[in-house]
Amino acid sequence: MYPFTYHRPASLDDAKARLSASEDGRPLAGGMSLLPTMRFRLTSCADLVDLNGIEALAGIERGDGHVRIGAMTRHAAVVESPEVGEAIPALAALAGSIGDVQVRNRGTIGGSICFADPAADYPAGLLGLGATVNTDRRAIAADDFFTGLYETALEDGEIVVSVDFPVPARAGWAKFGNQASRFAVVAVMVSLSGGSVRLAVTGARSHVFRVPEMEQALAGDFSAEAMDGIAVSSEGLNEDLHADKDYRAHLIGVMAKRAVRDALAQ
Amino acid sequence: MYVGQAIRRREDERFLRGRGRFVEDITLDQPIAHAAFVRSPHAHAAVTHVDTAQAAAMPGVLAVLTGADWTAAGHGEAEGVWPVKDMSGADSRTAYRPLICVDGVVRCVGEIVAMVVAEDRHQALDAAEAIEVAYEEKPANTITAGALDPDIPLVHPAFGTNEVMVTEHGLKEETEAALANAHHVTEVVVPTNRVTAASMEPRAYLGHYDRVNDRYTVWTTNQAPHIVRRYFTKSLHIPEHKLRVIAPDVGGGFGMKLYHYPEEGLVLWGAIVCDRPVRWVGTRSECLLGDTHARDHHTVGRMGFDENGKILGVKFETLAAFGAYESQWQASITNAYHFTMLSLAYDIPAIHTQVRAVYTNATPVDAYRGAGRPEAVYQVERMIENGAQEMGIDPLELRARNLIPPEKFPYQTALGITYDSGDPPVLMGKIKALADYDALRAEQARLRAEGQWMGIGISAFFDMAGAGPVKMMNDLGAKVGCYDVASVRVHPDGRITVFAGSHSHGQGHETTWSQIAADRLGCDIDHIDLVEGDTDRVPMGIGTWGSRSLSTAGMAVYTAADRVVAKAKRMAAHMMECAPEDLDLADGEFTVKGTDRKLSFAAVANASYHSGDRPSDLEIGLEETSFFDPADCTYPSAIHLCVVLVDPETCAVTLRNYWAVDDVGTVINPMVLHGQVHGGLVQGIGQALMEECAYDAESGQYLSGTFMDYAIPHAEDVPSFGLDAHFTRALGNPLGAKGAGESGTIGAPACICNGVIDALWHLGVRQITQPMTPKKIWRAIEDAKRTQH
Repeated sequence: MYPFTYHRPASLDDAKARLSASEDGRPLAGGMSLLPTMRFRLTSCADLVDLNGIEALAGIERGDGHVRIGAMTRHAAVVESPEVGEAIPALAALAGSIGDVQVRNRGTIGGSICFADPAADYPAGLLGLGATVNTDRRAIAADDFFTGLYETALEDGEIVVSVDFPVPARAGWAKFGNQASRFAVVAVMVSLSGGSVRLAVTGARSHVFRVPEMEQALAGDFSAEAMDGIAVSSEGLNEDLHADKDYRAHLIGVMAKRAVRDALAQ
Repeated sequence: MYVGQAIRRREDERFLRGRGRFVEDITLDQPIAHAAFVRSPHAHAAVTHVDTAQAAAMPGVLAVLTGADWTAAGHGEAEGVWPVKDMSGADSRTAYRPLICVDGVVRCVGEIVAMVVAEDRHQALDAAEAIEVAYEEKPANTITAGALDPDIPLVHPAFGTNEVMVTEHGLKEETEAALANAHHVTEVVVPTNRVTAASMEPRAYLGHYDRVNDRYTVWTTNQAPHIVRRYFTKSLHIPEHKLRVIAPDVGGGFGMKLYHYPEEGLVLWGAIVCDRPVRWVGTRSECLLGDTHARDHHTVGRMGFDENGKILGVKFETLAAFGAYESQWQASITNAYHFTMLSLAYDIPAIHTQVRAVYTNATPVDAYRGAGRPEAVYQVERMIENGAQEMGIDPLELRARNLIPPEKFPYQTALGITYDSGDPPVLMGKIKALADYDALRAEQARLRAEGQWMGIGISAFFDMAGAGPVKMMNDLGAKVGCYDVASVRVHPDGRITVFAGSHSHGQGHETTWSQIAADRLGCDIDHIDLVEGDTDRVPMGIGTWGSRSLSTAGMAVYTAADRVVAKAKRMAAHMMECAPEDLDLADGEFTVKGTDRKLSFAAVANASYHSGDRPSDLEIGLEETSFFDPADCTYPSAIHLCVVLVDPETCAVTLRNYWAVDDVGTVINPMVLHGQVHGGLVQGIGQALMEECAYDAESGQYLSGTFMDYAIPHAEDVPSFGLDAHFTRALGNPLGAKGAGESGTIGAPACICNGVIDALWHLGVRQITQPMTPKKIWRAIEDAKRTQH
């Protein structure tokens, strides 16, 4: 780890001020991705602005037709939340499938989506449920938020405050984890809301994406069988030790069906 | 009697409370400086320039040292403990793993080019980054299978080949004839995946030089401190009497911590140069890369059967990876522990094996829990499984027809090794009943009809444990005497300290050695302390590896304790005015047979040190040492059986059931035995299903550098094990005990992989390379579909 100055502001305004005052400042959420990369000396910053002291950023509330989750809400809190469990059980399942107990007790939704790991789970949750990301300066639709490998639409110094998840009629989550890290090789969030379907895949490309052919088929018939015959092209899919692109393409079909079955079972 | 009881481990109190004392926990009067290393980022490159000027001027830096400094200081290398070049008649090409790059060429990723010593770890790392090394990349090869192909880059061009040596064993002509005359011949290509031990505690070393007394001390994560001491005479040329090696609590070794590693020699060098104690604690990434790797055989095998499934002969051709250099014990695998065990638990009349050891631009390979035997079992058992399937004979039935019958023991295999005792048919009967085998086959048929893929895997084998005897192991290539040592010191108050040349890094010697000693000495186990892992306190030792400690060090404890009792009886007899033969010793008291006359052991101990009234020819004191050279290796055996379920959609494998029936002779502590079997099985599961030290074929870059990519089993990957045992006495030691440390890793990979193949046989799948990951299983099924259409 390279040297840095540690800041622990108690308010969002203080955090923004410290970040804007720094030439090279980074916000710290749960630290489950940023701190390991810093320890590996792959990342460094002059100022580390710890958001863990800002109480207003954490918490879950049920709004009108949506669930709002504060950016600093731990995965474990999402898993245990009665509001999430009742409104969007698939989102609780997603949170429960992240990492291990220690990671879920530290990691946050805001940290996960800002880091935008290609195999992170929350990006599929946001895109598959049609969520909106609220920052300190605007609201960004999930469709516009994830822009590339570890890249988001956030501007310099912009801080995620919360995420709004519309409550769907049904939603389902299915994940196939890599044997080593348990990160998604392929994971799928699917949701059905008023006849429209969203199906988002994480782990398979540089960043999360939707599969329009599957969504169209499911809009007409929300069943696993409706996707029979829809083959996902392996072109552009990730290849690594754990899965080549052909196997990943196959898994997208499998996980999409499992996500739909999961949605129908709820 | 303590032996045979599942006594709770006495060492666990401190481990479970976080009070263990590991190398990183050691504190000294002088502040400890820290080492950091510059490692090669290339698989093969010329080092054209190393610029250390900037680093040397950085804050806190005490020294920056390179291979040039090493050479100028006249230091040496880590010579082989079990080197290839001493095999009789075998032509070999030795290049030992250097402690630091001295010849201007790096031959694998991670090879050390420079060392920084600084006041703290971060300063050392900062300075290491500031060292500029210019490399000229050379073509590299990390793939064992192709290492001898014509256009493959040479790791050591001076040798003109990547071949280290060739060894052949067994009955060549008989095997060829058996295969030619066989009713059925099975041929399978069976590469054994490269894995690493991934011990819980990473390697760590602390070096100290006491200039006043001219004495050196090294604290090390090592399994055999006396052997470390021996090989410092070769690397830093330190005489053995000047060096104290301490292996304190060590968090897992598995063979991987048996070697005089580069960092171990370098920290002591740094301590000498800087006149300060120097420590290095490996990161997980440094260890996944720099710890010795293991296995990595590429084998083609052919097995011939008669019409009843009786095995007539089997022939193997293996390329065995050495990696970039010959590691210290490497040849113990190729020249001692692999070929010898290829008959497994089967009566096979003709076996022939050729092993060509090869250099590749990869981390050196050396022993890891099983060391050659997991490869042997996998190679043979994959043949048997495919042969049974091809011939339409139930795989368990075919194995049963080939097991060595009890009346053939002692049984000499076609490779010349003699198993002293065992009863494989009894093991087979037990596991068949334990698993309810016939019901499993019925369930498999029912599930298959429903489109579910269930497989049943089996493996049956012998292990060669307990190295020595000294002469036998010398003959197999060992340059260390494979005995072990213990001293039993009775203090004047009757309490006892046992000193043993073994080292416990998870095995529980504080419990089991004390069980043995307490029984021999007729005392309370709580009156015994054990000292291990310190060359200044323990007279000599060969260390803990190869499932050897019970039948060597444990027997030295047994023997030394008996000598103590014999001497104490003479003193007691003198005090009680009777003959030594008339005395019994139990519960801390000597009693005269047939009388109620008693004298406490403590009183005899006290008199042994402090009384002038003793037999005139009896020396003062009550302490005995035994150097125990066993009469033979031990040959534990086992049969494993498992059930796997393969998900027809994702191709993920669930290991649903696992049973093992072990014959380890006399058991000292059944709980410790189960712990050994459980741990080994989990590591075997890893080898079968997920673990792999992977290199990029093009660049030679190492791809498994963190636990994000190197997959080891999680708790959820492991079923509850069903264990049973059957005991036949070992003939080579007085307790009749056999080694028990490696059964799991030896048997599990073959067992599980056979299960996966059994699950998929009806789909046309015949072989999948280990580890059998979902990706590879899916590909194998897709390939089988294409072949059949």
